[in-house]
Amino acid sequence: MSFYLKLFPFAVVLQLLFSELLTFDGYQANIMLLYVILSSMPSDNNTSQSTVNGFLVGLFTDFVLFSGVYIGVSSLVFSICGFWASKVSHNFAFRNFDLYWIAFVHLGTVIYSLFRYDYFFFNDFLLFLSNCFFVTYFTCFVGFILIKIFSLKEAILNA
Amino acid sequence: MSKLRIIFKDYQERFSLVFCIFISFLLIFNNDTAVIKKSKINSLDTFSFLFAPFNWLDNQLFLNKKLEVLSSENLKLNLENQVLKVHEDENIRFREFLNFKKRDIYNFVGADVISKGVSANMSSILIDRGQEDRVNINDPVLTSKGVIGKIISTSKSSAEVQLISDVNFRLSVKIVPDDVEGILRWIGDDICEIAELKKISDIKIGDVVLTSNLSIYFPPNLPVGEVISIFEKSDSSNRIVRMKLYSDLSTINQLFVVQRGDEL
Repeated sequence: MSFYLKLFPFAVVLQLLFSELLTFDGYQANIMLLYVILSSMPSDNNTSQSTVNGFLVGLFTDFVLFSGVYIGVSSLVFSICGFWASKVSHNFAFRNFDLYWIAFVHLGTVIYSLFRYDYFFFNDFLLFLSNCFFVTYFTCFVGFILIKIFSLKEAILNA
Repeated sequence: MSKLRIIFKDYQERFSLVFCIFISFLLIFNNDTAVIKKSKINSLDTFSFLFAPFNWLDNQLFLNKKLEVLSSENLKLNLENQVLKVHEDENIRFREFLNFKKRDIYNFVGADVISKGVSANMSSILIDRGQEDRVNINDPVLTSKGVIGKIISTSKSSAEVQLISDVNFRLSVKIVPDDVEGILRWIGDDICEIAELKKISDIKIGDVVLTSNLSIYFPPNLPVGEVISIFEKSDSSNRIVRMKLYSDLSTINQLFVVQRGDEL
Protein backbone atom coordinates (compact mmCIF):
# COMPACT_ATOMS: atom_id res chain seq x y z
CA MET A 1 0.00 0.00 0.00
CA SER A 2 2.77 2.44 0.94
CA PHE A 3 4.43 1.64 -2.40
CA TYR A 4 1.39 2.99 -4.21
CA LEU A 5 1.09 6.01 -1.96
CA LYS A 6 4.71 6.81 -2.80
CA LEU A 7 3.94 6.45 -6.48
CA PHE A 8 0.93 8.79 -6.30
CA PRO A 9 2.84 12.14 -6.23
CA PHE A 10 5.07 10.80 -8.99
CA ALA A 11 1.99 9.99 -11.10
CA VAL A 12 0.54 13.46 -10.45
CA VAL A 13 3.79 15.17 -11.50
CA LEU A 14 4.01 13.01 -14.63
CA GLN A 15 0.38 13.74 -15.51
CA LEU A 16 0.96 17.49 -15.16
CA LEU A 17 4.15 17.22 -17.19
CA PHE A 18 2.35 15.39 -19.97
CA SER A 19 -0.71 17.62 -19.95
CA GLU A 20 1.17 20.93 -19.82
CA LEU A 21 4.31 20.19 -21.84
CA LEU A 22 4.19 16.89 -23.70
CA THR A 23 0.96 16.89 -25.64
CA PHE A 24 0.98 15.34 -29.10
CA ASP A 25 -1.28 17.14 -31.54
CA GLY A 26 -3.55 18.07 -28.63
CA TYR A 27 -3.70 14.50 -27.32
CA GLN A 28 -2.47 13.71 -23.83
CA ALA A 29 -1.45 10.48 -22.17
CA ASN A 30 -3.74 9.52 -19.30
CA ILE A 31 -1.14 8.80 -16.61
CA MET A 32 -3.68 8.73 -13.79
CA LEU A 33 -5.54 5.91 -15.58
CA LEU A 34 -2.26 4.00 -15.88
CA TYR A 35 -1.61 4.61 -12.18
CA VAL A 36 -5.03 3.24 -11.18
CA ILE A 37 -4.65 0.15 -13.38
CA LEU A 38 -1.15 -0.66 -12.20
CA SER A 39 -1.93 0.04 -8.55
CA SER A 40 -4.92 -2.35 -8.73
CA MET A 41 -2.58 -5.17 -9.68
CA PRO A 42 -3.74 -8.35 -7.92
CA SER A 43 -1.58 -8.97 -4.89
CA ASP A 44 -2.73 -8.52 -1.32
CA ASN A 45 -4.98 -5.67 -2.51
CA ASN A 46 -8.64 -6.51 -2.26
CA THR A 47 -11.11 -5.51 -4.95
CA SER A 48 -13.17 -3.16 -2.77
CA GLN A 49 -10.08 -1.24 -1.81
CA SER A 50 -8.97 -0.95 -5.45
CA THR A 51 -12.43 0.28 -6.47
CA VAL A 52 -12.51 2.93 -3.75
CA ASN A 53 -8.90 3.91 -4.51
CA GLY A 54 -9.83 4.35 -8.17
CA PHE A 55 -12.86 6.41 -7.18
CA LEU A 56 -10.79 8.70 -4.92
CA VAL A 57 -8.03 9.15 -7.52
CA GLY A 58 -10.80 10.00 -10.02
CA LEU A 59 -12.24 12.66 -7.72
CA PHE A 60 -8.75 14.09 -7.24
CA THR A 61 -8.28 14.17 -11.03
CA ASP A 62 -11.61 15.90 -11.62
CA PHE A 63 -11.40 18.45 -8.83
CA VAL A 64 -7.67 19.16 -8.51
CA LEU A 65 -6.01 18.22 -11.80
CA PHE A 66 -8.81 19.78 -13.84
CA SER A 67 -9.93 17.02 -16.19
CA GLY A 68 -11.92 19.46 -18.31
CA VAL A 69 -14.78 16.98 -18.79
CA TYR A 70 -17.80 16.43 -16.54
CA ILE A 71 -17.03 16.15 -12.85
CA GLY A 72 -17.50 12.50 -11.92
CA VAL A 73 -16.32 10.98 -15.21
CA SER A 74 -12.80 10.22 -13.95
CA SER A 75 -14.13 8.71 -10.73
CA LEU A 76 -16.53 6.55 -12.75
CA VAL A 77 -13.84 5.35 -15.18
CA PHE A 78 -11.19 4.81 -12.53
CA SER A 79 -13.48 2.90 -10.15
CA ILE A 80 -14.58 0.57 -12.98
CA CYS A 81 -10.96 0.06 -14.10
CA GLY A 82 -9.81 -0.40 -10.49
CA PHE A 83 -12.52 -3.00 -9.92
CA TRP A 84 -11.86 -5.08 -13.06
CA ALA A 85 -8.08 -4.70 -12.94
CA SER A 86 -7.99 -6.16 -9.43
CA LYS A 87 -10.20 -9.08 -10.51
CA VAL A 88 -7.52 -10.47 -12.82
CA SER A 89 -5.67 -13.38 -11.27
CA HIS A 90 -2.10 -12.79 -10.18
CA ASN A 91 -0.82 -15.63 -12.39
CA PHE A 92 -2.44 -14.15 -15.48
CA ALA A 93 -1.03 -10.71 -14.75
CA PHE A 94 2.39 -12.22 -14.08
CA ARG A 95 2.46 -14.05 -17.41
CA ASN A 96 0.72 -11.41 -19.51
CA PHE A 97 1.67 -8.19 -17.77
CA ASP A 98 1.64 -5.97 -20.88
CA LEU A 99 -1.58 -7.46 -22.23
CA TYR A 100 -3.14 -6.90 -18.80
CA TRP A 101 -2.55 -3.17 -18.54
CA ILE A 102 -3.00 -2.43 -22.25
CA ALA A 103 -6.44 -4.10 -22.20
CA PHE A 104 -7.51 -1.95 -19.27
CA VAL A 105 -6.15 1.24 -20.88
CA HIS A 106 -8.46 0.42 -23.82
CA LEU A 107 -11.41 -0.13 -21.50
CA GLY A 108 -10.77 3.08 -19.54
CA THR A 109 -10.19 5.25 -22.61
CA VAL A 110 -13.30 3.99 -24.40
CA ILE A 111 -15.51 4.84 -21.38
CA TYR A 112 -13.74 8.20 -21.05
CA SER A 113 -14.25 8.96 -24.74
CA LEU A 114 -17.95 8.12 -24.51
CA PHE A 115 -18.30 11.15 -22.26
CA ARG A 116 -15.63 13.36 -23.82
CA TYR A 117 -16.69 12.76 -27.44
CA ASP A 118 -20.36 11.90 -26.87
CA TYR A 119 -21.44 14.17 -29.70
CA PHE A 120 -19.16 12.36 -32.20
CA PHE A 121 -20.33 8.96 -30.97
CA PHE A 122 -23.84 9.73 -32.17
CA ASN A 123 -23.04 11.93 -35.18
CA ASP A 124 -19.65 10.97 -36.61
CA PHE A 125 -18.57 7.56 -35.39
CA LEU A 126 -15.33 7.54 -37.43
CA LEU A 127 -14.20 10.74 -35.77
CA PHE A 128 -15.09 9.26 -32.39
CA LEU A 129 -12.99 6.18 -33.20
CA SER A 130 -10.00 8.20 -34.40
CA ASN A 131 -9.99 10.37 -31.25
CA CYS A 132 -10.38 7.29 -29.07
CA PHE A 133 -7.61 5.52 -31.02
CA PHE A 134 -5.09 8.37 -30.61
CA VAL A 135 -5.68 8.79 -26.87
CA THR A 136 -5.47 5.03 -26.25
CA TYR A 137 -2.28 4.45 -28.20
CA PHE A 138 -0.54 7.57 -26.95
CA THR A 139 -1.31 6.41 -23.38
CA CYS A 140 -0.11 2.88 -24.24
CA PHE A 141 3.07 4.23 -25.82
CA VAL A 142 3.88 6.39 -22.79
CA GLY A 143 2.93 3.55 -20.42
CA PHE A 144 5.19 1.14 -22.26
CA ILE A 145 8.15 3.53 -22.00
CA LEU A 146 7.51 4.27 -18.31
CA ILE A 147 7.23 0.57 -17.46
CA LYS A 148 10.50 -0.19 -19.25
CA ILE A 149 12.45 2.81 -17.91
CA PHE A 150 11.39 2.43 -14.28
CA SER A 151 11.18 -1.39 -14.35
CA LEU A 152 7.63 -1.08 -13.05
CA LYS A 153 6.77 -4.68 -13.91
CA GLU A 154 9.15 -6.12 -11.33
CA ALA A 155 8.35 -3.42 -8.79
CA ILE A 156 4.59 -4.00 -9.06
CA LEU A 157 4.69 -7.79 -9.14
CA ASN A 158 6.94 -7.86 -6.07
CA ALA A 159 5.11 -5.14 -4.15
CA MET B 1 -28.66 -8.70 11.38
CA SER B 2 -25.84 -11.21 11.19
CA LYS B 3 -27.38 -12.60 7.97
CA LEU B 4 -27.33 -9.11 6.52
CA ARG B 5 -23.70 -8.78 7.54
CA ILE B 6 -22.83 -12.06 5.82
CA ILE B 7 -24.62 -10.98 2.64
CA PHE B 8 -22.79 -7.64 2.74
CA LYS B 9 -19.46 -9.44 3.22
CA ASP B 10 -20.17 -11.79 0.31
CA TYR B 11 -21.08 -8.98 -2.02
CA GLN B 12 -18.82 -6.30 -0.54
CA GLU B 13 -16.83 -5.89 -3.77
CA ARG B 14 -19.95 -5.41 -5.86
CA PHE B 15 -21.51 -3.09 -3.31
CA SER B 16 -18.43 -0.87 -3.35
CA LEU B 17 -18.42 -0.76 -7.17
CA VAL B 18 -22.14 0.05 -7.33
CA PHE B 19 -21.71 2.70 -4.65
CA CYS B 20 -18.78 4.35 -6.49
CA ILE B 21 -20.64 4.26 -9.82
CA PHE B 22 -23.77 5.68 -8.18
CA ILE B 23 -21.84 8.60 -6.63
CA SER B 24 -20.03 9.22 -9.93
CA PHE B 25 -23.29 9.37 -11.88
CA LEU B 26 -24.78 11.60 -9.22
CA LEU B 27 -21.87 14.00 -9.79
CA ILE B 28 -22.12 13.75 -13.59
CA PHE B 29 -25.84 14.51 -13.63
CA ASN B 30 -25.39 17.42 -11.23
CA ASN B 31 -22.55 19.08 -13.15
CA ASP B 32 -24.65 22.11 -13.94
CA THR B 33 -25.68 22.78 -10.36
CA ALA B 34 -24.20 25.81 -8.63
CA VAL B 35 -22.70 23.71 -5.81
CA ILE B 36 -20.66 21.50 -8.13
CA LYS B 37 -19.58 24.40 -10.32
CA LYS B 38 -18.52 26.44 -7.30
CA SER B 39 -16.66 23.59 -5.61
CA LYS B 40 -14.89 22.76 -8.87
CA ILE B 41 -13.66 26.29 -9.53
CA ASN B 42 -12.76 26.79 -5.84
CA SER B 43 -10.73 23.59 -5.65
CA LEU B 44 -8.95 24.51 -8.89
CA ASP B 45 -8.30 27.94 -7.46
CA THR B 46 -6.83 26.46 -4.28
CA PHE B 47 -4.61 23.95 -6.06
CA SER B 48 -3.56 26.20 -8.94
CA PHE B 49 -0.06 26.36 -7.41
CA LEU B 50 0.44 22.78 -8.69
CA PHE B 51 0.41 24.01 -12.28
CA ALA B 52 2.70 27.01 -11.72
CA PRO B 53 6.10 25.25 -12.19
CA PHE B 54 4.93 23.59 -15.41
CA ASN B 55 3.58 26.85 -16.82
CA TRP B 56 6.80 28.60 -15.92
CA LEU B 57 8.82 25.86 -17.63
CA ASP B 58 6.57 26.00 -20.68
CA ASN B 59 7.01 29.78 -20.92
CA GLN B 60 10.79 29.56 -20.51
CA LEU B 61 11.20 26.80 -23.09
CA PHE B 62 9.44 28.69 -25.83
CA LEU B 63 10.25 32.26 -24.80
CA ASN B 64 12.77 33.01 -27.56
CA LYS B 65 10.58 31.56 -30.27
CA LYS B 66 7.57 33.50 -28.98
CA LEU B 67 9.56 36.76 -28.89
CA GLU B 68 10.69 36.22 -32.46
CA VAL B 69 7.12 35.59 -33.67
CA LEU B 70 5.72 38.53 -31.68
CA SER B 71 8.36 40.93 -33.00
CA SER B 72 7.64 40.08 -36.61
CA GLU B 73 3.87 40.23 -36.01
CA ASN B 74 4.28 43.56 -34.26
CA LEU B 75 6.13 45.04 -37.20
CA LYS B 76 3.52 43.75 -39.65
CA LEU B 77 0.66 45.07 -37.50
CA ASN B 78 2.31 48.48 -37.09
CA LEU B 79 2.46 48.90 -40.84
CA GLU B 80 -1.14 47.75 -41.22
CA ASN B 81 -2.20 50.04 -38.42
CA GLN B 82 -0.89 53.13 -40.21
CA VAL B 83 -3.13 52.42 -43.18
CA LEU B 84 -6.15 51.43 -41.04
CA LYS B 85 -5.90 54.58 -38.91
CA VAL B 86 -6.49 56.74 -41.98
CA HIS B 87 -9.49 54.58 -43.00
CA GLU B 88 -10.88 54.63 -39.46
CA ASP B 89 -10.93 58.43 -39.27
CA GLU B 90 -12.60 58.53 -42.64
CA ASN B 91 -15.13 55.88 -41.57
CA ILE B 92 -16.04 57.68 -38.34
CA ARG B 93 -16.57 60.90 -40.26
CA PHE B 94 -18.88 59.21 -42.79
CA ARG B 95 -20.85 57.42 -40.08
CA GLU B 96 -21.45 60.75 -38.36
CA PHE B 97 -22.62 62.27 -41.65
CA LEU B 98 -25.07 59.41 -42.22
CA ASN B 99 -26.28 59.35 -38.61
CA PHE B 100 -25.39 55.68 -37.95
CA LYS B 101 -25.80 54.20 -34.46
CA LYS B 102 -22.60 54.37 -32.45
CA ARG B 103 -20.63 51.13 -32.16
CA ASP B 104 -19.55 49.53 -28.92
CA ILE B 105 -15.87 49.40 -28.14
CA TYR B 106 -14.39 46.57 -26.15
CA ASN B 107 -11.79 46.25 -23.43
CA PHE B 108 -9.39 43.34 -23.52
CA VAL B 109 -8.21 41.84 -20.24
CA GLY B 110 -4.99 39.86 -20.67
CA ALA B 111 -4.81 36.49 -18.87
CA ASP B 112 -2.31 33.66 -18.45
CA VAL B 113 -3.37 30.03 -18.72
CA ILE B 114 -3.03 28.29 -15.35
CA SER B 115 -3.98 24.81 -16.49
CA LYS B 116 -4.89 23.13 -19.74
CA GLY B 117 -6.51 20.17 -18.02
CA VAL B 118 -5.51 16.52 -18.05
CA SER B 119 -7.94 15.23 -20.65
CA ALA B 120 -7.07 14.72 -24.30
CA ASN B 121 -7.96 17.55 -26.71
CA MET B 122 -8.61 20.33 -24.30
CA SER B 123 -12.25 21.22 -23.93
CA SER B 124 -11.70 23.83 -21.24
CA ILE B 125 -8.82 25.66 -19.61
CA LEU B 126 -8.25 27.65 -16.45
CA ILE B 127 -7.06 31.28 -16.56
CA ASP B 128 -5.72 33.59 -13.85
CA ARG B 129 -8.41 36.28 -14.12
CA GLY B 130 -11.67 36.17 -12.20
CA GLN B 131 -14.41 38.21 -10.62
CA GLU B 132 -11.85 40.64 -9.16
CA ASP B 133 -10.95 41.59 -12.74
CA ARG B 134 -14.63 41.93 -13.68
CA VAL B 135 -14.54 38.74 -15.75
CA ASN B 136 -18.09 37.44 -16.15
CA ILE B 137 -19.72 34.25 -17.36
CA ASN B 138 -20.20 34.20 -21.16
CA ASP B 139 -17.46 36.79 -21.82
CA PRO B 140 -15.77 35.92 -25.14
CA VAL B 141 -12.12 34.82 -25.02
CA LEU B 142 -9.55 35.44 -27.75
CA THR B 143 -5.90 34.83 -28.48
CA SER B 144 -3.96 37.44 -30.44
CA LYS B 145 -5.14 35.63 -33.59
CA GLY B 146 -8.82 35.02 -32.99
CA VAL B 147 -11.72 33.60 -31.00
CA ILE B 148 -11.08 30.46 -28.94
CA GLY B 149 -13.97 30.22 -26.47
CA LYS B 150 -15.98 31.81 -23.70
CA ILE B 151 -16.01 32.00 -19.91
CA ILE B 152 -18.22 29.37 -18.27
CA SER B 153 -17.45 29.80 -14.58
CA THR B 154 -15.60 32.26 -12.43
CA SER B 155 -14.11 32.46 -8.96
CA LYS B 156 -12.43 35.42 -7.26
CA SER B 157 -9.12 35.08 -9.04
CA SER B 158 -9.61 32.53 -11.80
CA ALA B 159 -12.06 31.53 -14.49
CA GLU B 160 -12.80 28.49 -16.61
CA VAL B 161 -12.85 28.93 -20.38
CA GLN B 162 -14.92 26.60 -22.57
CA LEU B 163 -12.87 26.19 -25.73
CA ILE B 164 -14.06 25.87 -29.30
CA SER B 165 -12.71 22.31 -29.11
CA ASP B 166 -15.48 21.36 -26.69
CA VAL B 167 -17.92 19.28 -28.74
CA ASN B 168 -20.82 21.14 -27.12
CA PHE B 169 -19.54 24.59 -28.17
CA ARG B 170 -21.42 26.36 -30.95
CA LEU B 171 -20.71 29.78 -32.42
CA SER B 172 -22.69 31.88 -34.87
CA VAL B 173 -20.29 32.99 -37.61
CA LYS B 174 -20.32 34.66 -41.02
CA ILE B 175 -18.10 34.14 -44.01
CA VAL B 176 -16.90 37.34 -45.67
CA PRO B 177 -16.96 38.93 -48.21
CA ASP B 178 -20.36 37.32 -48.96
CA ASP B 179 -21.63 37.67 -45.34
CA VAL B 180 -23.15 34.16 -45.29
CA GLU B 181 -24.11 33.12 -41.79
CA GLY B 182 -23.80 29.65 -40.28
CA ILE B 183 -23.20 27.68 -37.10
CA LEU B 184 -19.68 26.57 -36.21
CA ARG B 185 -18.68 23.42 -34.35
CA TRP B 186 -15.30 21.80 -33.75
CA ILE B 187 -14.48 18.48 -35.45
CA GLY B 188 -10.82 17.84 -34.62
CA ASP B 189 -7.33 19.40 -34.32
CA ASP B 190 -7.72 23.03 -35.44
CA ILE B 191 -10.51 22.26 -37.88
CA CYS B 192 -14.15 23.30 -37.48
CA GLU B 193 -17.25 22.76 -39.56
CA ILE B 194 -19.76 25.47 -40.42
CA ALA B 195 -23.26 24.19 -41.14
CA GLU B 196 -26.58 25.78 -42.13
CA LEU B 197 -24.99 27.84 -44.94
CA LYS B 198 -27.23 28.73 -47.89
CA LYS B 199 -26.41 26.69 -51.01
CA ILE B 200 -26.70 29.71 -53.29
CA SER B 201 -23.99 31.56 -51.37
CA ASP B 202 -20.70 32.28 -53.08
CA ILE B 203 -18.01 30.91 -50.78
CA LYS B 204 -14.42 30.34 -51.83
CA ILE B 205 -11.49 28.59 -50.21
CA GLY B 206 -9.47 31.16 -48.28
CA ASP B 207 -12.49 33.30 -47.33
CA VAL B 208 -12.32 34.74 -43.84
CA VAL B 209 -14.65 33.56 -41.04
CA LEU B 210 -15.76 36.17 -38.48
CA THR B 211 -18.24 36.17 -35.61
CA SER B 212 -21.69 37.16 -36.88
CA ASN B 213 -24.05 39.87 -35.74
CA LEU B 214 -26.47 37.25 -34.43
CA SER B 215 -24.53 36.13 -31.36
CA ILE B 216 -25.73 37.36 -27.97
CA TYR B 217 -22.34 37.10 -26.26
CA PHE B 218 -19.80 37.51 -29.05
CA PRO B 219 -19.36 40.94 -30.60
CA PRO B 220 -19.49 40.91 -34.42
CA ASN B 221 -16.44 40.78 -36.68
CA LEU B 222 -13.99 39.01 -34.37
CA PRO B 223 -11.65 36.81 -36.46
CA VAL B 224 -12.19 33.04 -36.14
CA GLY B 225 -10.47 31.32 -39.07
CA GLU B 226 -10.41 30.73 -42.82
CA VAL B 227 -12.26 28.40 -45.18
CA ILE B 228 -10.29 25.34 -46.30
CA SER B 229 -12.94 23.18 -48.01
CA ILE B 230 -16.56 23.29 -49.16
CA PHE B 231 -19.01 20.37 -49.34
CA GLU B 232 -22.30 20.16 -51.16
CA LYS B 233 -25.00 17.85 -49.83
CA SER B 234 -27.28 16.64 -52.59
CA ASP B 235 -30.17 15.97 -50.21
CA SER B 236 -30.06 19.36 -48.54
CA SER B 237 -30.53 23.00 -49.43
CA ASN B 238 -27.58 23.89 -47.22
CA ARG B 239 -23.86 23.46 -47.70
CA ILE B 240 -21.11 22.63 -45.25
CA VAL B 241 -17.78 24.40 -45.02
CA ARG B 242 -14.65 23.34 -43.17
CA MET B 243 -12.40 26.01 -41.74
CA LYS B 244 -9.08 26.20 -39.98
CA LEU B 245 -8.92 28.20 -36.77
CA TYR B 246 -6.47 31.10 -36.70
CA SER B 247 -5.55 30.22 -33.11
CA ASP B 248 -3.44 27.17 -32.43
CA LEU B 249 -5.28 25.41 -29.59
CA SER B 250 -2.29 23.29 -28.61
CA THR B 251 -0.06 26.26 -27.79
CA ILE B 252 -2.33 28.61 -25.89
CA ASN B 253 -0.56 30.45 -23.08
CA GLN B 254 -1.85 34.02 -23.09
CA LEU B 255 -5.45 34.99 -23.74
CA PHE B 256 -7.68 38.03 -23.75
CA VAL B 257 -11.12 38.26 -22.20
CA VAL B 258 -13.38 40.65 -24.07
CA GLN B 259 -15.40 43.06 -21.96
CA ARG B 260 -17.94 45.51 -23.26
CA GLY B 261 -16.68 49.09 -22.91
CA ASP B 262 -18.06 52.47 -23.89
CA GLU B 263 -19.58 53.46 -27.20
CA LEU B 264 -17.46 54.73 -30.06
